[in-house]
Amino acid sequence: MPAFRSSDSHLGVRSARRPLRALLAASLFLLAACASAATPRPTSPPDSTGSLVAPATATPAPSPSASPAFPTTLTGDDGTSVTLAAAPGHIVSLTPAETEVLFALGAGSRVVGKVEDIANFPPEAKDVPVVGTYSGIDVEKIIGLGTDLVIAGGSGGTPQDAIDKLRSLKIPVLVVYASDVGGTLADIALTGSAVGKSAEATALANSMQAGFDQVAAATKGATAPRVFYETGDQPAIYGIADNSVYAQMITLAGGTPITTGSATNWEMSIEKLVTANPDLIILGDSAYGVTADAVAKRPGWSGLAAVKAKAIKPINDIIVTRPGPRLVDGLRLLVAAIHPEVVLPSAAPDGSPAASGS
Amino acid sequence: MSAALNEVAIGLRGVSGGYGGRPVVDAIDLEIAVGDRVAVVGPNGAGKSTLLRLMTGLIAPTAGRIEVAGTPLANLDRRDVARRIAVVPQLASLPFSARVEEIVALGRLPHEDPIRGLRPADRAAVSAAIDRVGLGRLVGRDVGELSLGERQLVLIAVAVAQDAPIVILDEPTVHLDIRHQIDVMDLLADLNEHDGRTVIAVLHDLHLAARSTPRVLVLDGGRIVADGPPRDALGPAVMGEVFRVDPAELPVGPWSAEKAPA
Amino acid sequence: MATRQDAVPLRTLGVMRHPLSRRPVALAGAGVVALILALLAGVGIGSVAVAPGDTIAIVAHRLFGLDLGAHWSAAAETIVWDLRLPRVLEAMAVGLGLAVAGATFQGLLRNPLADPYVLGTASGAALGAAIAVLIPIRIVFLEFGLLQGFAFLGALGSIAAVYRLARVGGTSPMTSLLLTGYALGSLLAAGLAMAMYLSGTALRQIFSYLLGSFDSASWGRLAGAAPIILVASLLIALRSRSLNGLLLGEETAAHLGIEVRRERAILLALASLVTAAAVAVSGLIGFIGLVVPHVVRLVVGPNARLVLPLSALGGAVLLSVADLVARSLGEVPVGVVTAVIGAPFFLLILRRTQRGYEL
Repeated sequence: MPAFRSSDSHLGVRSARRPLRALLAASLFLLAACASAATPRPTSPPDSTGSLVAPATATPAPSPSASPAFPTTLTGDDGTSVTLAAAPGHIVSLTPAETEVLFALGAGSRVVGKVEDIANFPPEAKDVPVVGTYSGIDVEKIIGLGTDLVIAGGSGGTPQDAIDKLRSLKIPVLVVYASDVGGTLADIALTGSAVGKSAEATALANSMQAGFDQVAAATKGATAPRVFYETGDQPAIYGIADNSVYAQMITLAGGTPITTGSATNWEMSIEKLVTANPDLIILGDSAYGVTADAVAKRPGWSGLAAVKAKAIKPINDIIVTRPGPRLVDGLRLLVAAIHPEVVLPSAAPDGSPAASGS
Repeated sequence: MSAALNEVAIGLRGVSGGYGGRPVVDAIDLEIAVGDRVAVVGPNGAGKSTLLRLMTGLIAPTAGRIEVAGTPLANLDRRDVARRIAVVPQLASLPFSARVEEIVALGRLPHEDPIRGLRPADRAAVSAAIDRVGLGRLVGRDVGELSLGERQLVLIAVAVAQDAPIVILDEPTVHLDIRHQIDVMDLLADLNEHDGRTVIAVLHDLHLAARSTPRVLVLDGGRIVADGPPRDALGPAVMGEVFRVDPAELPVGPWSAEKAPA
Repeated sequence: MATRQDAVPLRTLGVMRHPLSRRPVALAGAGVVALILALLAGVGIGSVAVAPGDTIAIVAHRLFGLDLGAHWSAAAETIVWDLRLPRVLEAMAVGLGLAVAGATFQGLLRNPLADPYVLGTASGAALGAAIAVLIPIRIVFLEFGLLQGFAFLGALGSIAAVYRLARVGGTSPMTSLLLTGYALGSLLAAGLAMAMYLSGTALRQIFSYLLGSFDSASWGRLAGAAPIILVASLLIALRSRSLNGLLLGEETAAHLGIEVRRERAILLALASLVTAAAVAVSGLIGFIGLVVPHVVRLVVGPNARLVLPLSALGGAVLLSVADLVARSLGEVPVGVVTAVIGAPFFLLILRRTQRGYEL
């Protein structure tokens, strides 16, 4: 999560409010820690059934091949239905993953606004006006663009206030929230239905599924090393929570994830880490300047198997976890880190999903 | 004593009172006539401040009854009391960024219209009070810049502007130099003799009390132990028994063996 | 120094120098003009350019049904009428309320550091909002969600608790109120910390509440909050006499005819109501309630009859301008802007005021 543009200055100098102020300072710390992790970090929703690994045979949502695609009523991941009278021509994407999905599905030319994306992907989306940042969504700008569909992130990805506001102004807002690989494929199908690109969505999901299957086949039977995936090192060490998409991805890549033991807590106690003794440390926070050398020098870490074996590898965290078309690429990165001996076919069967947009 | 002999400004009958069930003032009977000028003296803890609080209705008596100009105090609301009794507090802290005339105008609160505020008559009363106390040249000055003596005069001006027939002062000369003490006492005499206001002042300085008030009340242990002109009320016996001092150790005063001119 | 002669009131000072006024009428006039300019700027400026003519035509059409012959897009109408206008008005109402509540708390507590949040309202509202965020139920009634409701109740509940707990022998002395407010505020802040710790992805929502914003302003929320703020502020202004009495302390106020205990309870309740309504719709916006009344007091003196209305104007202008600046800059919380605009202004006034500023 990028840091809040925050200030507690308005909570100011009054002594009577010092506790609140101190608390804010502390929470800023916490946020900064999260910030160093990565962009969207979906966690499992509380009611998740905990099925960590998507069934290998999971098919993306049934393709509504039966034509007239519009009008259509779709149910977003927040349970709210959205009715679209016609194929939307002015789409605003409020999650970086959805921006990638829309471009991959060939709907990029209809994207009139997007949320800021630190990865700036895909390059074709570079010139799309930014209507939202982590600090807020510019509803006025969205209205001014003549938007007829907003795709927003669920579970706090897009501020609920902004979603409510847009809906009160009669703008259809489709909320997507993928907590795992299966959810990502389902959201791609949902997006396809919303923008009139169902066939493309089905094809993309199928190709991604094929990519997952390919990886599963390649890593089958290999021993699963214990992997600690670091998501932040300030002020404490942050790892990955139980049942998070990270844990699922590492499992799919043929590793055994070391998690914090809680579905909500991302802070990793050093004692627990030493006890778990990872064979491999993957630095999801490498984009924030954390290096293998620095990790090896941390007090108390020298005894870890991974440190002794110099198995500390940086990774592009965004590709590993962004619930979009490049998730397969992310999985391949993880396989390369966890099982360097496994040789994957150089590309997915019918071309890289990310490049499949037409 | 006063000219209006029969009118009672404040009357107490068997009044007891204190804080949290602990009586400080015990069964006091007292009549202060309209036009009286009274000094209330006594050692620390004698109950002087408590007596003032009882007389002004800030605390309710646990026994007895108090009347102000013939009306039971218990029947009066704060505004009624404020129109009858003005109180000059001891060491009131003054607010920030306030000018002298703005503070004196607070004396009109019991009279002003709750919605419209000060009317021309109120403004005239404020001007008159400022003149009366001799603060004319301080108009427009911030009260934060004033000396302690000047602040005390501002508080007295508030009471003058309040235009109440009874003025009660709690240690009005404490912290003042001798010049200001005399000025304040002269002003009280003037309010009493010239305006006919009833003046009751708690004083810690027995000399000042003896010198400038016709009637002195001596309080000790919550009771009135002497009441009369200084010559009688502050005699050698009272000095010995109440204040525990040998009059010989004191400068010349009513308590001295060879009576000094008052 | 009173000499013996001038203690005797023989002379009158001709015409007194304008005793009880410091040009408040001119100031009020300037305030009203500033308020109108702030309204125009707030409605006319935004991230999407809408022609001034269209803006006026839209407002005239919606407000009076006038057709000025201009044609505008539906988007422009939504932007002007549904986004900007309620937002500007909400910022004004909240600014007005916070400034009036701040002036009231400062007067009641006789403490220059008092502000609308001093007696635990901020912590109470924040905890209420955080709890609402943690409850996985979405209830929306007249555009007010659980968060607004809980923040409102949290603010009122905390101040009621402070008032009850601070009672010593039947009265609530001011120092006791302040200390109790501090203590309870600390306790509630601990609760808030726990709620934030448990909040997971909802942390951002809690945090944005703590920073305050008018992003979600709407006619419905304005209709809910503004009447409470305006009516309670007016009732406070009608009790200026009591606030003036308290300038010299509680005992003196009683001697000046103020029913101190009753008036204090009423004023505390009204100021808390204003604060609670303001924080429910806007989150915790600081500084306005602290600084605006001080600036006004430095300029016009302590008379509540002037301080309250002028603070109301000043608060409305300052907060609506601050919000305009905040949304123009895009990524700056409005509370930061109020501080950045207000603090230097306050310091300037303090410096230019030769007179001391003491309690």
